[in-house]
Amino acid sequence: MKRMVEFTVNGEAREMAVDGCRSLLDALRDDVGLTGTKKGCDVGDCGACTVIVDGEPVNACLMLAVEAEGRSVETVEGLQPGVDTLHPLQDAFMRHGASQCGFCTPGILMMAKKLLDDNPRPTDEDIRFGLSGNICRCTGYTKIFDAIKSAAREMEASRP
Amino acid sequence: MRRFDYHRAETLEHASRLLTELGDDTFLFNGGTDLLVEIRERLRRVRNVVDIKQIAGLSAVTYDETLGLTFGALVTVGRLEGLSLVRQRYPNLRSALASLGSIQVRNRATVVGNICRASPSADTIPPLVADGAFVHIYSRTNMRVVPIAEFFTGPGKTVLAKGEIVTGITVPPAGDNTGKAYLKHGRRKAMELSTVGVAVSLAMDDGVCSDIRIALGAVGATVLRAPQAEAMLRGTRLDATTVRNAADKAMEECTPISNVRASAGYRRDMVGVLTGRAIKQALETFA
Amino acid sequence: MNMTTPIEQREFKIVGKSVKRDDVLEKVTGEAQYTGDVKLSGMLHGKIKRAAIAHARIKSIDVSKALAYPGVKAVLTHENVPRVLHYGSPHPRSASCTKDQYILDDKVRFWGEGVAAVAAISEEIADEALDLIEVEYEALPAVFEPEDAAQPGAPLIHDVGPGGNLVLDPVRVNRGDVDKGFAEADFVLEGTFAGGRPHPAYMEPNVCVADWDGSNKLTFWTSTQTSFMVRGILAEVLGLPLTKVRVLVDHMGGGFGAKQDLFQHEFLCALLAKETRRPVKMEFTRHETFVAGRSRHPCKIWLKQGFKNDGTLVARDMKLVYDSGAYGSHGPGVTIVGTTAATSLYRCENVRLEGRCVYTNTPINGAFRGYGVVQSYYALDIQMDEAAERLGMDPAELKLKNVVRAGDIAPSGHPIIGHGLEICLQHGIDVLDWKALWNRDRTPDPKRPHIRKGWGIGCEMHGSSAYPGIKEQGNATVKVNEDGTVTLLTGAAGLGTGAHTALAQIVAEELGVRFEDVGVIHGDTDVVPWDIGAFASHTTYLVGTAAKMAAGKVRAAVLARAAMKLQVSPEAIDLSEGKVFLIAEPDRSMTVSEAMGPSRGIPAANIVANGTYEPTKSYSFAAHFTEVDVDIETGIVEVKRVVPVHDVGRVIHPIAAQGQIEGGIQQGIGHTLTEDYVIDKKTGRSLNAGLVDYKMPLSMDMPDIETIILEAAPDPGGPWGAKGVGEDPIIAIGPSIANAIHDAIGVRFHHYPITPEDILKALREKGA
Repeated sequence: MKRMVEFTVNGEAREMAVDGCRSLLDALRDDVGLTGTKKGCDVGDCGACTVIVDGEPVNACLMLAVEAEGRSVETVEGLQPGVDTLHPLQDAFMRHGASQCGFCTPGILMMAKKLLDDNPRPTDEDIRFGLSGNICRCTGYTKIFDAIKSAAREMEASRP
Repeated sequence: MRRFDYHRAETLEHASRLLTELGDDTFLFNGGTDLLVEIRERLRRVRNVVDIKQIAGLSAVTYDETLGLTFGALVTVGRLEGLSLVRQRYPNLRSALASLGSIQVRNRATVVGNICRASPSADTIPPLVADGAFVHIYSRTNMRVVPIAEFFTGPGKTVLAKGEIVTGITVPPAGDNTGKAYLKHGRRKAMELSTVGVAVSLAMDDGVCSDIRIALGAVGATVLRAPQAEAMLRGTRLDATTVRNAADKAMEECTPISNVRASAGYRRDMVGVLTGRAIKQALETFA
Repeated sequence: MNMTTPIEQREFKIVGKSVKRDDVLEKVTGEAQYTGDVKLSGMLHGKIKRAAIAHARIKSIDVSKALAYPGVKAVLTHENVPRVLHYGSPHPRSASCTKDQYILDDKVRFWGEGVAAVAAISEEIADEALDLIEVEYEALPAVFEPEDAAQPGAPLIHDVGPGGNLVLDPVRVNRGDVDKGFAEADFVLEGTFAGGRPHPAYMEPNVCVADWDGSNKLTFWTSTQTSFMVRGILAEVLGLPLTKVRVLVDHMGGGFGAKQDLFQHEFLCALLAKETRRPVKMEFTRHETFVAGRSRHPCKIWLKQGFKNDGTLVARDMKLVYDSGAYGSHGPGVTIVGTTAATSLYRCENVRLEGRCVYTNTPINGAFRGYGVVQSYYALDIQMDEAAERLGMDPAELKLKNVVRAGDIAPSGHPIIGHGLEICLQHGIDVLDWKALWNRDRTPDPKRPHIRKGWGIGCEMHGSSAYPGIKEQGNATVKVNEDGTVTLLTGAAGLGTGAHTALAQIVAEELGVRFEDVGVIHGDTDVVPWDIGAFASHTTYLVGTAAKMAAGKVRAAVLARAAMKLQVSPEAIDLSEGKVFLIAEPDRSMTVSEAMGPSRGIPAANIVANGTYEPTKSYSFAAHFTEVDVDIETGIVEVKRVVPVHDVGRVIHPIAAQGQIEGGIQQGIGHTLTEDYVIDKKTGRSLNAGLVDYKMPLSMDMPDIETIILEAAPDPGGPWGAKGVGEDPIIAIGPSIANAIHDAIGVRFHHYPITPEDILKALREKGA
């Protein structure tokens, strides 16, 4: 049985009919057409589908689309502040080699964004703890830590 | 992924009625972090889920010097984890909360859901057992309150009858003379199901242990207490030898199994190590 | 290429710099297209019914209920798919593959093997329909350990191959006189070693989409490292010419070797699409990536070596048995490479090796980073540490004495070029002040009395390219556009290593244009030149050289064209940073764009060149220095710090090279301590096919890694001396950890993973 659901994705209002059992992840990827959010396990173990719902990072695979009713969902596609500009994290990930195969990258970027929003000057331990629900199999994490630290410094420097 | 129908309950009465009327294969849907996994991995056959997250009155967290900490069924693990009250007064629960799944999972999972799943390795159960928490249960005919130690009847099994719903948990107040710790053993530092979890809650009066509860996770069909070990410790100064002997006793009191995560023998060994370490850590509160 | 060819030296403008990777832009914005992101109108979803038995004959299979289920469009079983015996890993011209698979067979050889496939209008319906397929099995006795499978009278898993459950005839290598060597030895060390079953656990589950058009042409999107191999074998099995199979792969979410095979679901997806005349997508669940994916071969090794009292190694006798799982896949290649690798690493003139590969009723083992060498060098390096202990020597000193050097014969049969391993080892010894570390005060920290610290060294070498097992070929096409920009066409897959960026750097450097002016086209077998696949640490080495050759040709053509326009001889001009100028008169110049473009009635130039390169092999080297903490009460080992020192020849992109090393270390720490895909030895069932119980080290578990890359031994076979880097780190880290554990607690482990239980058990035995 389908239900109507209204929510915003990256600030844009969406209204759609979805099956009650449809995950937010499948709805984002197949119904909204935002495939940046990845499905690495579909059971909340890998973090590749991390999106931010009402300010809190969650695994989109472990949330039903109908539960997004009235909520605001942010995905990697909404991270860029403008068409031709990158979020400092995106730029730092490129410069520091923090993304190899890239499959974990959208989820890690969302997690890192939340981390820096809450904690502009994270310690190494804060970063490690913040990413502990996101599996990266390519980088050994070292370059990801570098990129997040670098982005934090830049964001700090550009703050008025 | 198997299909199921989604129902949104408006009230507890509504939810309870749906649970009864929709028949078998109907389950409460709260944080969903276990239920959806069980559906996807075909561990549980589910035809209907009843979402209780729109029900009013289940989201509060309160603290009262006499009653203690009370939180509703919808309170997420992440929310409790972030409360300074929990960090200061219930460091054992705090430690369990912070070690459950990932940040993303904790933002959805609830403590009530964690206990209702009744996994012997559930992280939040040992500290709640060690602290002597109570479970508030709604049914359409009456409300009841059950000591958490009596809530579990086996792996995945609880005293809940069809149509009954846990509405919240109360954890007794933590006095200034109490020390608490929860230690989890896993192969990684995060994203772990505990191989062994040991929670300790103790009270010291004039350097003497006036009370202690030790709860052991993942080493029995349900989370276990270690009553003989506790008895050896009560009334002592918790010196190293006594603690070591009690930890050895706790090893005897647990009933672990072997599986892909660890052998029974290793789990038993870890009960010994972690019991000793947890007592030491609980005592550091006073240091 | 002639090994004595001198390596060209030059001032590099682009090579050696960590230019911004273009492919990463798409990855950080979410725009990168992976196979699972492909969505076609009318697309169906396919699912595979998997056997819940390890060895059986299918007596009957009834699909009538599944076919009648609303939304189901087709069901395939062994009764209605082509019965073609095919290769699992179809490398052309290769001795290292086995032809032992059918798309679907009437026999089940491992728990989890596909027995039927369903296409339906949704993934959920397809999944539900699987339960409606009724299969009746006749159980066969199953074998789960190579020892059991190799016993006379053991149940035979295949009726092809040499028999006795052998995947191939034993691989034997003999050099010198081993018996004489042992007779001269002052002492002999002998031990058995065992490796577990780590899984690559790439983040992107296997996925493919098949679509047939009206002309009976198959377009096939798939997450593969070897798109041309997929094309070739699909065409062969489906009876199509290569013009009728187009394989597409844009971005892929990791492979680490395992995505070289032809997977059962790939054939089934194509056949379901053909049957339904609709596009079909098949996507593995995470569980399926374990059960139906490919893991590293578990391996049992017996190693006996003779030493002189001065540390000289005089004899090596080694027997290796690799567990292939239910099919051959890369078993032959892994056995050959892993066995022959043991001729080298530490010098020994008298060597006798025997490698076997045995079928068992367990999930298939295939190619995975380190390809058989992870196993054999774990044994070689640990036993060298034991020899040092026996001699009362610092292991660094003994390893330094024995590592292979320039001129020694490599496993490939060629002389080793340069002193790469010696230089790496010595460099690490120097930067860490190893002598002081080794002779440090080992008293435990009184604040953490249950922690013991240890340091260990692990050495390795690994070849770029699969030569001589596969005679490889690298191809590249370079086109210069009329505006002076350049297009590189390559068949090499983009696993995420940054290989495409490295190739573009090489083209820009060689041609003399800016890096930003080179575009890379890849991932379409109808467009790009043939490629053998991205594996064996060879893309930069092999395709890089081909790209450099092609770039050199177009450079000459551009210079000729510019010379004509400038009315000078081509020898008088040079090309750099997109500008052609007179060598004697640098102010007289024109841009490549001006040279290429139309002018005064001359049409724009069409400059295209191919480069084809058939390499032998180069070897890269590494020494890892690793610090561990061992908790003697819980047995938990924590890797605290790793200093990996690598020789990769000329470094093309430093950050990408470092990233390969650090990622390999994560995977290697995993298989040494926590990662093991466990198969129940009673039933053959998987016990931990998921990311919670298959334990990869995560962000909080990773040590500090201080990567050091040296350009110690450039190889003339690669572009400006560049060699591979992908596989080396995962080989060296394992023995460095095992040796560090020994340093910490005085216990030798000969297996991986080394679990906390193993540590406690060993400590108890030691205490007793």
